[in-house]
Amino acid sequence: MFKTALKNIRRSPYQALSAIFVLSLNLFVIAIFILVSLTTQIILTHFETKPQIIAYLQDDVTQDRVNQLINSLNLTNEVKEVKFVSKDEALKIYKQSVGNDPLLLGTVTDLGEVTADILPASLEVSVKSNQSFDTVAEVLEKAEIVSTTPQNKKEIDYPRDVIDELARWTRAIRTGGLILVFILTLTSITTIATIISLKISSRRVEINTMKLIGAKGWFILKPYLYEVGLYSLIASVISWLITFIVLLYSTPFLANRLSGIITLPVPPLTLFGLYLVLLAFSFILALFSGIFASIRFLRR
Amino acid sequence: MIQFKSVTKKFPTGNTVLDSVSFHIHPGEFVVITGTSGAGKTTLARLMIKDIAPSSGEITIDGEDIAKTKPKHLHALRRKVSVIFQDYKIIPDKTVAENISLALQIANFPPEKIKDRVEHLLNLVNITEKENLFPSQLSGGELQRAAIARAIASEPVILFADEPTGNLDSQTASGIIKLLQKINSTRTTVVIATHNQDFVNLASQHLHLEKGKITSSIPKNKENNKERTKKSDKKDV
Repeated sequence: MFKTALKNIRRSPYQALSAIFVLSLNLFVIAIFILVSLTTQIILTHFETKPQIIAYLQDDVTQDRVNQLINSLNLTNEVKEVKFVSKDEALKIYKQSVGNDPLLLGTVTDLGEVTADILPASLEVSVKSNQSFDTVAEVLEKAEIVSTTPQNKKEIDYPRDVIDELARWTRAIRTGGLILVFILTLTSITTIATIISLKISSRRVEINTMKLIGAKGWFILKPYLYEVGLYSLIASVISWLITFIVLLYSTPFLANRLSGIITLPVPPLTLFGLYLVLLAFSFILALFSGIFASIRFLRR
Repeated sequence: MIQFKSVTKKFPTGNTVLDSVSFHIHPGEFVVITGTSGAGKTTLARLMIKDIAPSSGEITIDGEDIAKTKPKHLHALRRKVSVIFQDYKIIPDKTVAENISLALQIANFPPEKIKDRVEHLLNLVNITEKENLFPSQLSGGELQRAAIARAIASEPVILFADEPTGNLDSQTASGIIKLLQKINSTRTTVVIATHNQDFVNLASQHLHLEKGKITSSIPKNKENNKERTKKSDKKDV
């Protein structure tokens, strides 16, 4: 049967090439879509687990006054968690985020090494819901111990805006990606189904003879299903290899920008999982197209 | 074995090819159906394998009303009733051996035994040296023999030969008929549709088709054939 399938491919190599090309493109877009979706989800989760409001405190503030502010925040009943980050802890976080960069650590500049003194202590607040946000922000705005900028504005960060923006982008990427995958999948199905229909049509006399001498539909169908199976196998390997090469070349660029959020390079197990997903998807798609094309002829 | 009860076949063009035709063929018979070209001989073959359906009437093969055979079970009927088509229907891009081998694969013959079986069949129909040739490289007689080998490959119960000698010279035709008699001697029911009246005397039953009607005649050698059908041993073909 495999011999027959290979013979069919050899007889019309351009048809086979076009099927493999369309399927590979489809799978490549799916692979990129999966990777981008996973990445944006990880970034979103990363930011979501961060506090939603950060209030930087004055340098001379005492622990008692900090505790008072924490109590005031808790009394609003709108707060899920309040975490005090001391100057020392702030330094530790800073060092973790910049890594071993001597320029950012100040070890090679005239300004001297970065120490805990120059970093502010802060309160990291997680709120219960979006509705709680304004109440909590109001308490912090009124708090004297929260430091102010030279423009007399309270030094409060609201990462929630970033998260909302990120969530919007994630949704847009997913919707756009799904639409693209859907269109390409339809293109693949129609391309493969058309090619198989053409092949069956060109061998109609042989198929009719086989039916007349007692062949079951499955027997007639098998070489064509093997053929689309081969298409899907080749296409999954090609698309995975292209994805792997794209990842390989973009890893240094991405590693810099996603440091601390995603570990790069992508682990081999994830890449293997990605290949299995592509293979399974292409098999299902190709078999569906093959059966869809051949059933019509077998029923005649 | 084969029973036609008041079978009528009208084509959409309005042409009535068979008009309330009834006959009965018993197991192991050697039946010759005669009639002029267009008398409906090929239609009979197509009806027997349910390639077409009758307009009315009942066709029973091996005790089963084939009208009730579902499309998914048609293969079983077509393995039971094997037809040697007038145009041979040998697949052109397969060699003689591959064509026979295909019939065996279709019949789920054990793969390891296919090669031997093909050799045996080629030997039986006397075209062993042509096994690797393509249909376009064969003469009419050789094509007919290849078609016979393919038709009997899966050991059918009934063999319907549609004009098996139509385009052959008398010597080759005689060889083909002898071959069909040899197949019949193994208790395979053989039905020959022909316009050649010369083979009538060989038949255990002679059916004649004319203007959509069929007449059955008592053949001269009926008694001899009766004797032969009593033999229970089925030889290997």
